[in-house]
Amino acid sequence: MTLGLKITNVSKTWNPDGADPVPAVRNLTLDVALGEFVVLLGPSGCGKSSLLYIVAGLEDATEGSVTFDGLEVTEPSPERSLIFQEASLYPWSTVQDNITFGLKIAGQSPKKQEEAAERLLRLVGLVGAGERRPHELSGGMRQRAALARALAMEPKVLLMDEPFAALDVQTRARMQGHLLNIWESSKASVLLVTHSIDEALALADRVVVFTARPGQIKAEIPITAPRPRDMRSPEMIELARQCEALLGEEVEKSFKEQELT
Amino acid sequence: MTDETLETPLVANRQESFGMRLLRRMEPVLWVMASLSIFVGFWEFAWWRGWANPLLLPPPHIFLANLPDQFRFFDPGGTRAGALATGGSIFSVLGVIAWSSLRVTVGLALGFLLSLAIGIGIRYFRIFGNLVLPLVTMLAPISPVAWLPVAVFIFGIGNPPAIFLVFIAIFFIMTLATLSQIDNVPVHYIQLARIMGCNKRQIYRHVILPAILPELFVTLRMNLFAAWMVVLIAEAVGVGSGLGQVTMMARNTFNASLVFFTMTLIGLTGFAFDQTLRYVQRKVLWWVGPSNVGGL
Ligand SMILES: Nc1ncnc2c1ncn2[C@@H]1O[C@H](COP(=O)(O)OP(=O)(O)OP(=O)(O)O)[C@@H](O)[C@H]1O
Ligand SMILES: [Mg+2]
Repeated sequence: MTLGLKITNVSKTWNPDGADPVPAVRNLTLDVALGEFVVLLGPSGCGKSSLLYIVAGLEDATEGSVTFDGLEVTEPSPERSLIFQEASLYPWSTVQDNITFGLKIAGQSPKKQEEAAERLLRLVGLVGAGERRPHELSGGMRQRAALARALAMEPKVLLMDEPFAALDVQTRARMQGHLLNIWESSKASVLLVTHSIDEALALADRVVVFTARPGQIKAEIPITAPRPRDMRSPEMIELARQCEALLGEEVEKSFKEQELT
Repeated sequence: MTDETLETPLVANRQESFGMRLLRRMEPVLWVMASLSIFVGFWEFAWWRGWANPLLLPPPHIFLANLPDQFRFFDPGGTRAGALATGGSIFSVLGVIAWSSLRVTVGLALGFLLSLAIGIGIRYFRIFGNLVLPLVTMLAPISPVAWLPVAVFIFGIGNPPAIFLVFIAIFFIMTLATLSQIDNVPVHYIQLARIMGCNKRQIYRHVILPAILPELFVTLRMNLFAAWMVVLIAEAVGVGSGLGQVTMMARNTFNASLVFFTMTLIGLTGFAFDQTLRYVQRKVLWWVGPSNVGGL
């Protein structure tokens, strides 16, 4: 049995029986080891989100299989938590109730939920905001609340779909540092999707570059430099240049294809 | 790690004088008065210039002049004979208003709850949905007025047919609105619930229900006036009491003053209902951002 996440020969076609089937992912194989931080980098529409949904168990793969700790993934589970680009907190609940939502569903006592909320709010830097409502929070605070909600379930894998895309550059940098701290203390694996090369290089143990749709793996770039990383160091600049070249080709391709259709 | 944005209080300190605050509280009321004054002003002007026949279109200062005279025609018990009713005090007027209001309220409450239940049932139980949805869609376009004879056949006269008509006026529309709201719940909300371990029942209870309630409440408010129109028709025809009956009697006895007086009461009551529903909406369904509630 292999621990961690194992994606084997996965293909995904949307509307497979329809008039206009969309192949989103083709024959993709990727392993994420226990505690590893993997970043998916690829042009828009290449099937990154589709892959995350499959790993989360929200969608079925058309072909291939996903296993987690040796078990086939067939349905969603709190241990593979997904964080969306938009925080999508429930607007009718307070921040605290959003964070403890999964615990409530799991039938934990109110006292335990209370304790967990306090710990998590501190962890993500939202002490004192528990009684607020989502619409009263800034984008960055919302995204942290969503992170806390996922962490409440003590996930073994965090799946993050462009979690910081909607944030400004400064907030983004802080959130990245923050995520690294949480990841290091939680020992969870992370599979994070981003458009930003800098973000990928700041975070990843391994950057996986996707081809244009249907998504396949174009290149894998391991990064061994210790964190926090200095993006202006020669090593990082070289890596960034490399990623840019790889990604650039694919963006070009996907633009061409869009022009044709 | 703390966040500096947390330190700023949510509501900025208001250091206003008492007079300013009072003015702000009163502002909506002032606008209502202004709005009314324009209408009344035109009417009175038309009367003053002799354009409006005071017998057919008596302006407010005439039909509001002799209130006890008007009150005579109000009887909560309802007398169809007219002129010499047992009523006569302000209380009998309030009684008549209360009866009409009660019919509307009960009809609305029943319609709201049942349409919610049926709407959710249609989506929750597939077979039930397949059986019921075509029926609902076919019955929806039938005007409540067309149901009037049916109401009388089934319930005779009295309160039940009036309540039934109010119910019918909103039930089908609200059921279809419930379906459309359920279908429009953001897909992320549901995916998240699945990740958090919710089963179908829990998704409906903890996600879909709170997600659809605010919009449904707005729909209910928009159908409030339709409910009022229907109850007046029902009262005029089949109930024998209430504001609708008074209007009908006024028409039959050619009492224009009474017609307009009753219309005034209907308008004011409808306005009060709308305000009440607004208030309830703000208090109970706070999670619709304040801007949303304010807008509608
Ligand atoms: N639910 C769906 N039904 C049908 N087609 C879909 C669905 N979701 C995605 N697709 C299609 O699959 C392809 C890949 O979409 P996906 O969202 O996975 O891309 P992505 O890499 O996440 O893009 P982006 O970076 O812009 O978020 C797109 O062509 C999209 O139109
Ligand atoms: Mg995406």
